[in-house]
Amino acid sequence: MANWDELGEALADYTVSCNENVRLRKMQRDWSRTLHFICSDTGVTFSMEVDHGEILSTPGGHVGTPDIVVTSESETFCDMFWGDLNPVQKYLRGEIKVKGSQEDVMRLDAISYVIWPDS
Amino acid sequence: MPGAEPAQPVAQALRRSVGTATATATSAGLAFAAIDYLGVVSVLAYAPGATAAVAILVGGLIVLLVSGIFSELNGLYPTAAGIRLYLGRAVGLRTSLSVTFTYMVTVVLVIAADAFLIGAAVRHVLHEPAVLAYVWIAVLLGVALAANLLGVRLAGWVQTVVTYTVLTGTVVLSVIALFHVGSAFHHPLNLFGQGSFSGVQAIAFALFLYAAFEWVTTTAEEARAPRVITRALFIAPVLIWITSTLFALALAHLLPYSSLHGSAYPQLLLGQAALGTVGEVWMLGLTVLTALNTFNGGFLVASRFIYAAAREGNLPRQFAWLNLRAVPWLAVTTLAVVAAVVAAAVFATGQWLLLVAVGAALESGIYAIAALCLVVLRRRETRERPFTLVAGKPLAVFGIVIFTILFLATGFSDPKNARHFSVAPIGVIAVLAALSTGYVLIFVPKLRAAAAARTAAARPRRRPPRPDGGSAAPTPTDPITAPDVTEDPAGQAGPAEAAVPPRFRANPEIPPALG
Repeated sequence: MANWDELGEALADYTVSCNENVRLRKMQRDWSRTLHFICSDTGVTFSMEVDHGEILSTPGGHVGTPDIVVTSESETFCDMFWGDLNPVQKYLRGEIKVKGSQEDVMRLDAISYVIWPDS
Repeated sequence: MPGAEPAQPVAQALRRSVGTATATATSAGLAFAAIDYLGVVSVLAYAPGATAAVAILVGGLIVLLVSGIFSELNGLYPTAAGIRLYLGRAVGLRTSLSVTFTYMVTVVLVIAADAFLIGAAVRHVLHEPAVLAYVWIAVLLGVALAANLLGVRLAGWVQTVVTYTVLTGTVVLSVIALFHVGSAFHHPLNLFGQGSFSGVQAIAFALFLYAAFEWVTTTAEEARAPRVITRALFIAPVLIWITSTLFALALAHLLPYSSLHGSAYPQLLLGQAALGTVGEVWMLGLTVLTALNTFNGGFLVASRFIYAAAREGNLPRQFAWLNLRAVPWLAVTTLAVVAAVVAAAVFATGQWLLLVAVGAALESGIYAIAALCLVVLRRRETRERPFTLVAGKPLAVFGIVIFTILFLATGFSDPKNARHFSVAPIGVIAVLAALSTGYVLIFVPKLRAAAAARTAAARPRRRPPRPDGGSAAPTPTDPITAPDVTEDPAGQAGPAEAAVPPRFRANPEIPPALG
């Protein structure tokens, strides 16, 4: 199980990687969403506010009404935010569960794909 | 303070979620395509006159079994990747890949068939030379391709309105046709009039009228609750049953079968017979509207499947290339090109009824496999389901038998002559299945090995090692036997592992009431 420090570090790196990727920002320019995350093993929750492709904040707890809810193990989230795993593989194996539209699910994966095309 | 204590996650209500009316419209819209008008004619070939209504009713009752099976499977795996998950868990990864690849071929066939049928219908109404039909096909596919590449999506409410307009419009015209005087029903209740096996074949083709209604399960992640999908799976077949039955009765009432057989636009003939030019334009309008659902839903489902398969390493990675609108452009373009080629082949050979037969057989085959999945997963997955099919095991075994029979009945049907048998449909399916299986057995392992090598060579692991030396490496999981993530971790969650870092403790941008 990953602890808060590890999650926070991973999220911080993910935020920078996203926000500094010009191509990704252009691709996601029409994508403004509130994401909720649930660590199924620790019960820890956090949110992500995305505005026109820019990650504005990643506060703890569930903030606002979500467009997407992602549930997985804390280790999986850490590895995903560090770009060390392919989210689609985990999703297709049922290890990442998502509530939200198919388009949003794909956009979420597209972030990892554009930043780390070889993950 | 949020996040400081291990939260007890509660069910999250999404800002935008799908309710029963929209899910039902999605289900019915995916099933009721332009090719269904031809499907009704195929039913009439084996169950002439009013007997077709009996075949469609029996087909509908069997489809309710499919609804039950998919409701339970969807409850177990409420995700767009559901079919891959339950197939993988039940029959193995390779088989699941082969089946889903073949399944996606059905989507391409339906897109191609609809493009052809709509092109032919437009050309007919405009009294243009036959060759111009292909121009219309190219235009339709071109518009669909451009819309998809630009990321244009039909809003949910537009899709709902379109679906209910198509169904209602078909029902209204059929009722008008039924009240048309001067004609009479032919061959009432003559289910085996075309030979001893014709009744079974009629039911098999009737099943095709409902085909693809189960694709609504791919929207499970946006449904308000699992029961929304279950309701849609049971309501949509009823809507299709009403529409198809009235349409079949209207055709049988007003038009001799000889005028329908060989026509690519029986709905236009019915419109013409019932209301003259107004009726013809009416039905043309509805036919064009079906394209919105087919092209929007078909392109979307198939291209996203291709994208996911490429990201997973089961298709060349180029299929995951995204354009600046986050659309997998190579996947979408390939779909359009393949559909155009298939439509051209149909246009050149006039074998559109073969597509109906292949589609009908494939759907029966998929339903047989879904029933098999239910039997296997009843044994392997003991966790509680939101929906449990009553007498599920015996009914699923019955489903395996009945859908296998229907698969063979359509697979060996002769699209041109109801009294003959043909190996053409089963031959096409055998070729598709062989290509799919060969690809999975030969190319997928190579692709996966190449992807793994590329990942290893590209860069080292980014996540820093833990200070205590503990491993944070992701453990590889067996895709078949990997356990599910617990749905509700309440009561299982342990204490938070460490203190909350400062950045999680407060967010100055978030008002306290929200935070």
